Amino acid sequence: MVEFTLPRNSKVQKGKHHAAAPTATRVKTLQVYRWSPDDDQNPRVDTFQIDLDQCGPMVLDALIKIKNEIDPTLTFRRSCREGICGSCAMNIDGTNTLACLKPLDELPDTGKVYPLPHMDVVKDLVPDLTHAYAQYASIKPWLQSESPTEKGQERLQSVEDRAQLDGKWECILCFSCTTSCPSYWWSGEKYLGPAVLLQASRWISDSRDDATGERLDDLEDPFRLFRCHTIMNCTKTCPKGLNPAEAIGEIKRKMVERRT
Amino acid sequence: MVSYVKKRPLSPHLQIYKPQITSVLSITHRMTGIALALGFVGIAFWLFAVILGDEYYHPFLYFFSTSIGKLALIGWTWALFYHMCNGVRHLAWDAGYGFALKTVTWSGWLVVAASLIFTLVAWWFGACCGCYSCHCPATTGVTP
Amino acid sequence: MTFSTKGPVGRAKGLGSAHEGTTHWWLQRVTAVALLPLTLWFVISIAAVAGKEREVVISWFGDPLSAIALSTLMVAGIYHAVLGIQVVIEDYVSCEWRKLLFIWIVRFLGFFLSALAVVSTLVMVLIRFMGTD
Repeated sequence: MVEFTLPRNSKVQKGKHHAAAPTATRVKTLQVYRWSPDDDQNPRVDTFQIDLDQCGPMVLDALIKIKNEIDPTLTFRRSCREGICGSCAMNIDGTNTLACLKPLDELPDTGKVYPLPHMDVVKDLVPDLTHAYAQYASIKPWLQSESPTEKGQERLQSVEDRAQLDGKWECILCFSCTTSCPSYWWSGEKYLGPAVLLQASRWISDSRDDATGERLDDLEDPFRLFRCHTIMNCTKTCPKGLNPAEAIGEIKRKMVERRT
Repeated sequence: MVSYVKKRPLSPHLQIYKPQITSVLSITHRMTGIALALGFVGIAFWLFAVILGDEYYHPFLYFFSTSIGKLALIGWTWALFYHMCNGVRHLAWDAGYGFALKTVTWSGWLVVAASLIFTLVAWWFGACCGCYSCHCPATTGVTP
Repeated sequence: MTFSTKGPVGRAKGLGSAHEGTTHWWLQRVTAVALLPLTLWFVISIAAVAGKEREVVISWFGDPLSAIALSTLMVAGIYHAVLGIQVVIEDYVSCEWRKLLFIWIVRFLGFFLSALAVVSTLVMVLIRFMGTD
């Protein structure tokens, strides 16, 4: 059976409490998942009280503040702090999103911050994305063209054909969608998941790509593609407002189309 | 996921992911589907009992006259209509329609409402307009 | 858990694509569409015969057209259910041989129940027209 509960080494325990200064008037409490590979402890949840008057507006600002002022061992990925690099994807208040795009205002008085769900944890809020990246590599996310071009000319694409890629190229591969998907939780070893399938569809839809059929061949599999049961958590959670479920539906229809 | 480093913990999933209208309706679709499958087993044996004779058929009649039997039947009717309405929603998605997040939300609530209304209508129809009041062949026992 | 030295991309590719799954997915949809009208008819039928004696049930379902509808409903419904439960098993059972075993049990059950329902319906037609019991 698939495990619906957490393995013994992953059960979360109570952690430390860091109170805000007594002078703070507007306080937000964050419960943050912690785990360190350096000791043999189970994961725990630490509580940090944040003085909102001394903090930027986003959850990422609060995490940076904690790291700078309260606990320098807190570990998380971040880079652009404006929703374009996809590094700070995590589970905030029960859904996956980017910490840099999630306002602290939208959290209840006590907000919960966990790593992306059902992933191996490297440290604290950093999940191991090795397998997800490998799955991305497996769909050959590059242009495969056999059509010759005139020397020195780029491959041209009409405005209409280019529009086919809209809603797909914008994906920043933060894997918020993939790790929100129960199907990926239970079958992630073989199921490619929404983020990778959205990218597969991006290359299948590209008028300049000549490998459409081979791409569909590689996807046609009860697990790689058809573990998608249109649950729709992916679309619900995408911090960029994209629609992976719709893109996967498009792939499924092409599967039917090519055999009729 | 198989760990590269064996001792890495698995991050919480079901334990922390907030129930979504999307996933809750989806798992309900699955559970009603399983209930319907079990019901089909019942229907097959019920049909068999009909041709075997009263000694096999009457226990069925008795069970569905008890309150537990009636409750099971009402529950099954709702499961049927839920699975059917949400099935139509799935067919629309499969055809490429209704993927916008707003549409997903309202169509979800519509499915919930429709399944309840259909269940009520079906039982009202069964109770008030049962075939004793009209003259359909079921009650008049017309044989050619 | 096995510890493998296979590289990440090799693991992601696994044993490669099965080049199937579309037929299963498509048949699930075909049976679903067929079941829409059949189910509505069935609900009306059940409302009509619920709680009645056998003779009423036989005169309702023993009508040739009804018998055809009922047989189609049972076969399509059970097929739809077998396809669906297969997916549920594949989702939740990770051990390969158990997965196969459960799927085959469900398939055999499906065949058996379909036969049971179709034969029973045919006999109802016979009883209705021959008048014997």
